[in-house]
Amino acid sequence: MSVPAYTAPDETSTLATCAFAVHLAASGPGPFPPALSGHAGGGEPRVLDAGELALIVQSVPAAAFAGEALAERLQDPAELERCARAHHDVITAAARTGPVVPLPLATLYLDDTRAVAAVREREAQFTRLLNRLHRRTEWGLKVTSTPGAQPPADRPAGETDRRRSPADGRAYLDRVRGRQRDREHRHEAAWRAAERVYAVARRTAVEARRLRPQDPALAGAGARQLLNAALLLDHGTEARLRHAIDQLSTDPAIADQARIELTGPWVPYSFARLDEEAATDGLQ
Amino acid sequence: MTRRTPQPLESYEPLEPYPPRTANLADILERILDKGVVIAGDIKIDLLDIELLTIRVRLFISSVDTARKAGIDWWETEPALSSRAARDALYDENKRLRERLSELETTGDHRHTRPKEPESV
Repeated sequence: MSVPAYTAPDETSTLATCAFAVHLAASGPGPFPPALSGHAGGGEPRVLDAGELALIVQSVPAAAFAGEALAERLQDPAELERCARAHHDVITAAARTGPVVPLPLATLYLDDTRAVAAVREREAQFTRLLNRLHRRTEWGLKVTSTPGAQPPADRPAGETDRRRSPADGRAYLDRVRGRQRDREHRHEAAWRAAERVYAVARRTAVEARRLRPQDPALAGAGARQLLNAALLLDHGTEARLRHAIDQLSTDPAIADQARIELTGPWVPYSFARLDEEAATDGLQ
Repeated sequence: MTRRTPQPLESYEPLEPYPPRTANLADILERILDKGVVIAGDIKIDLLDIELLTIRVRLFISSVDTARKAGIDWWETEPALSSRAARDALYDENKRLRERLSELETTGDHRHTRPKEPESV
């Protein structure tokens, strides 16, 4: 592939090479779908040869990404979503014919030669990782607490409360303590439910990782995310995971406390780590 | 588990489709910002702190998703969420101030000249 032409030295017309993913040269993605355009304002997504590997890139205007330009653009949620989906779409399209190692958003090189050099420097590691991800996909597993979870059945809340005289201070304190206990019980039960879901689900996976819990705002009013995890599954074993989740979802001990959500299949983003990164990963 | 030699392409079963369009933006962001193999690029990208950015992003995603379902795009004009909107807001405020100023100048002139009129008559 040719190096993009540097038409003029001024910033507005300088192109940079934006890298999306690395794959094995032998399992190239073939022609991309025509609708796949990558980042706005850039050239068409294309493939660079890097020995046994290949790299999916796009020429983009450097000024739109470098320095604070990208951070500024990403302040606009609509722009952020466009960038994020553009990146994700290219990676996803590339993964249809073989394993890919996704690179984070906005991995930028001065030109194609530099991008290829960066990949070749780690050729052995990339190859090992690609072989490990071969015929495997990532699934997202989220457990969210149910906002109005039922209080434990052994406490007839409300009824006894109303019978007591409002002037009875001791009764009042008992009620407050009782409510507090109920909350704590519900909380513990919800966490236990989430841990059980993770323990059962990960048995169907080759590898599992916990991700940072997402912001409570995403879980909905009064709910909280109890588990955010990623599972790496062999192709063809998704049914086992789905079956396990279905069973867990109908188990009253879990269904009363929490809601289970499965997303995927994803390109194995959460498991794309080179050896040295995996070794120093504090999250595991 | 590790296969040194990848299977030939022919045996690669087509995946069931990934969900790029339907995927939740928060799920995508936590993967493309936090995950993936980092090979240092040439060009300095100042994405602030990734974690900070992710948190900020998450704070408004749920609202954005809900709003989109309802066909609302309020964030486009919400100064706190959009730098373009912030510029627009500044522009609007400037415009309002200019209008108010010229209004004051006009009425001010009026008041100034009026009391003098009886004197000069």
